[in-house]
Parts: sequence; structure tokens; C-alpha cells
Amino acid sequence: MNASPATIASAPKRPFFLGARGIVLVALGAAAIASWFLLDLSVGGLVPQRGGVRIVREFFAGALRPALDYESDVPEGTPSILWNTLAGARRTVVFATAGMSLAVVLGIVLGFFGSSAWWTGDPAGGATRASRFLRRFVWPGVWFVARTLIVGMRSVHELLWAVLFLAAFGLNTFGAVIAIAIPYGGTLAKIFSEMVDEAPRDAGLALRGIGARPTVVFFFGLLPRALPDMCAYTFYRFECAVRSSAVLGFFGFPTLGYAIAQSFENLHYREVWTYLYALMALVVLIEVWSGAVRSRFVA
Amino acid sequence: MASTSAESTSTRSSPAAFELRGASVVYDGRAALRPADLVIRPGERVALVGPSGAGKTTLLRVLNAGVRPTSGAVLVGGRDLATLSPDELRHVRSTIGFVHQDLCLVPNLRVSQNVIAGQLGRRSLVGAARAMLWPRREDVDRAARILARVGIGDKLYQRTDTLSGGQRQRVAIARALFQDPLGILADEPVSAVDPARARDTVELLCDVARERGLTLIVSLHDIRLATEFFPRLVGLRDGAVVFDAPAGAVTRGALDELYALEGLERIPERGEDGSDR
Repeated sequence: MNASPATIASAPKRPFFLGARGIVLVALGAAAIASWFLLDLSVGGLVPQRGGVRIVREFFAGALRPALDYESDVPEGTPSILWNTLAGARRTVVFATAGMSLAVVLGIVLGFFGSSAWWTGDPAGGATRASRFLRRFVWPGVWFVARTLIVGMRSVHELLWAVLFLAAFGLNTFGAVIAIAIPYGGTLAKIFSEMVDEAPRDAGLALRGIGARPTVVFFFGLLPRALPDMCAYTFYRFECAVRSSAVLGFFGFPTLGYAIAQSFENLHYREVWTYLYALMALVVLIEVWSGAVRSRFVA
Repeated sequence: MASTSAESTSTRSSPAAFELRGASVVYDGRAALRPADLVIRPGERVALVGPSGAGKTTLLRVLNAGVRPTSGAVLVGGRDLATLSPDELRHVRSTIGFVHQDLCLVPNLRVSQNVIAGQLGRRSLVGAARAMLWPRREDVDRAARILARVGIGDKLYQRTDTLSGGQRQRVAIARALFQDPLGILADEPVSAVDPARARDTVELLCDVARERGLTLIVSLHDIRLATEFFPRLVGLRDGAVVFDAPAGAVTRGALDELYALEGLERIPERGEDGSDR
């Protein structure tokens, strides 16, 4: 039986033209506008001051003519700028890789404890008192501690961690690596756990149905469904880590940022651009690599 | 539809493969399964029939230790599920294969990995990692033999999401067989395939169950398939078992009554309604 036209005509009207979603959108727009007024932003502030125009012009002119040689005399035995760029780029990648390798392990371990899909929703789980205690208090407790830890790790920026470790250990390479690893591990753990929790659970439930332990359910039922997204996100974070690693150079670590800071202080903008182009090349390389890997996830 | 030796030789003394004692399931105040008594002997092949929402899926999930009954008891192999520790429950679950309506395979893994996953209920995390990532030669050989048995022997190393729906269904059956279970439960295994393939699938399930002496319980919309392949039918309606009889003894009248819902006064054709979730 099809609905008659009469029933369609009497469909209830929406009670209010602006639904809950509409109200939220309007509020978000209002918050955006309010923030501009609160900061007293005016485009006039972006007009360069007297000397500024010259600096801006010189800086962007350097983009067209990146330095192929140092702009001033350098001590005898200094490697050429191109060699220096390559070495800086290499160290930038090495710092980022070391930080990410730790961060991925942290992300998977904390992501496991911070996800709930592997312990929730087994209505027929073990019937003993101990298993009920685990389900009701222990796993939720572990989950809560892990989520709190993850928030703590990632609410402090890697540069702040770097400042902290610099104060504590001095210019220590390992300090720079864990300065990247801690916030990145937290971010990866948050995203990994949410990806696993939001991925389809059918295969995980099927594994649990045939008696698999929670860890096995997680790693072979739930995680594989989220793996393509996790992989793509990890690549993106690696790209971020390369940028962070470069910026750590401003604190004296021997990455591209160190060279950029030195050239910038000496007003050698063309040298700055040489290093910036190297950084861009790194980001493009990672993008190409990640695209090639991700294309293999599509059946 | 003569019953095979597997059913007739099952002795009274050995525990039932599956047993419900007044088991019921209530979801949010609605009775999904009314108190039911059911004894299924080892090696029996039983079809659960009934309209959508009759409680077939709930009954299967109770038997598979996936849903705890609100009242009454469920016994698998003579053991009351309500008394088991997590380890014991996992062990019982590892002896029951389940072919899900929506298959529940991992699409981005190889067919071989999805099949080998059938044994993950019996492995530690390290053992599971070995089996999934560096499987032993014997396991791969066995997975290949089972895949050949279900008719897709050439798909061993393909990614599962490159297979057709019918082939994937065979992967799900192969996974249940690789599990080496005592019984297989299948929830509407033919709801998503065309009629010819539906018949093949049911026949395959029955054949492998007979070959290996497995208990087989399948929920089916299709009465004709049920009466053709299963010696015993259990009719469900509104969460209640309305008949439980040898296929030959189920009358046309009983079936009509089973499906006599409001506005539905005949046996539904295949595929008329999708699922009974």
C-alpha cells in the first residue's frame, strides 16, 4: 500500500525554522566574528612599517634566487652550502624518524589501552566474579588512565617539551627526540584509538564469538579494519615531525632550522630560501611516498 | 529426507551439543526469545525457520554464547554457560563456528588470513601474530585444502575485498571449517545471494557438516531449502518455538500459520525481506 497524497500533505511541519544544528552553526559563526573583534584585528596592521617593506621585498626576492653559495665569507674548510643543506635535511629526517619511531610504539600501546572496542559489549562475557570486576572496574579504569595520559602528553607542544628538556638535559639529542615522541605519541594514540573504536566491529565481534582473547580481537579483528586510515595519518604526522624537527634547529639542534636561524640572523635571505626549498622538497617527497603506499590500500 | 546415521547414532548418554532449558531473552522489555526448551544432539542438522523478527538470530546468539539468557539456562556440550570463567567461555566459543549473515571478514586481509583467523580463538597473542603474519606450512596447506573443498581453492592469496559476494561467503564458511569446530551455526547464510547460489551454499554447509560429523544449525527464510536439506525444523514466531519436528512431519498448515502475520498471509518468497535483526 502506497501512502496516499493526502497523508503526504498532512506531514508535520518543522516546529522551528532553525533546528538545533542551525543554532550551533550560528553560534560558531558568532564565535568566529567575536574572536576577531576581541583581538582587535585590522588589515591595516599588516601594512609593513617603514623599514619593513624593504625587508619583505628582499626576503621574497630571495625566493627567486636561492643561494648556491654562501652570501658572505666563511671560515676555511666550511662545507659548501649545498652540502650543508643536504646534511641538514638528512639530520632533520633522522630526528623526525627517531621521534616518530618512538611515537608510533607509544601510539599503538596507548591507543590499545585508550580504545574501548576490545573490552566493551560482550553481554555474555565470563560469569565469574573476577571477570565481572574486570569488565566493570578494571578495564574502564585502565581506559580512563590511558585517556588522561594521552591528553597530558599532547596538550604540551613539542617545542615546549623541547624547552623543558633543554633546561633539564642541555643540548641533548635524546631530549629532542623525546620532545617529538611524547606529543606525537599522544596524538597518534588518540587518533589510533578513535579510528579503531569507529571502524566496523563486525570482524572483531566474530573473533570474540569464536573465543579470541581481547588482545587478539584488538590486533586481528579491529586494528586491520582501521589500518589504512592509521597508516595515512601516520604519514601525515611524519610530515609534521619533519617540520617540528626543522624548527628544533632554532634551539640549536643541528637540523635545517639551525641553518635557517643563522642565515636569518645574518639577513642572508637567499640562504634561508635554499634551506626552505630543501624542507619543501622533504615534505613533497613524503607526500609522494605516502600517496604511493595509500594507493595500495584501495582494492 | 532420510536422517543420516549421524543423528540416529547419537546416544542418549552423551551430552547434547546444545541445550536450552527454559531460556529466554528480553531486550529493553521486549521478549526476543520466550522461554524455550530445545535439545540438539551432536551431528544433528537443524533449520530454524520463521518470519523476520521471530527470534532466529537471538536463538543462534544464545547458543553461541554471544547473548546471555535473561532467564533459564544454556548448555553447550553439557556445560552451563552461566557458570563459566572467561577462559572456559572462550574455550566453549572456540568449539563453535559461526557463519554470520554479513560474513564479518576483514576485507583488507588476504583470503588465507581470514581463513586462518578461524583458529585465533585458541591462540595467545604471540601465537595469533605468528599464525596471521608468518603462518606455518601446515596451516597454509590446510587453509588451501578447505578453500578447495568450498570451491575457491585458487583464491588463497587474494585480498578478500577483491572477491565476489558468493566467494566471500565461501571464505566465511572456510574460516568456520578451519576452526575445526564441533558445530557450526549459520545466521541467514543465503539472505544476500541469488537463488541458485543460495541452494549451493546450503548444500555445501550440509555436505561439510555430514562429512565431518558436525552439528549444524542454520536459520533460513526459505522453507523449501529448509525442508529439502534439513532433517529437523524448528519454527519460531514472535520469539516462541511453535514447532520442533522432523522435516517430513511439518505440515503445510503449520508453515502457513508460522508466517501468518498481519498482512502477510503466505510463505514469503526468497529475498522478500532482508534480515531479522
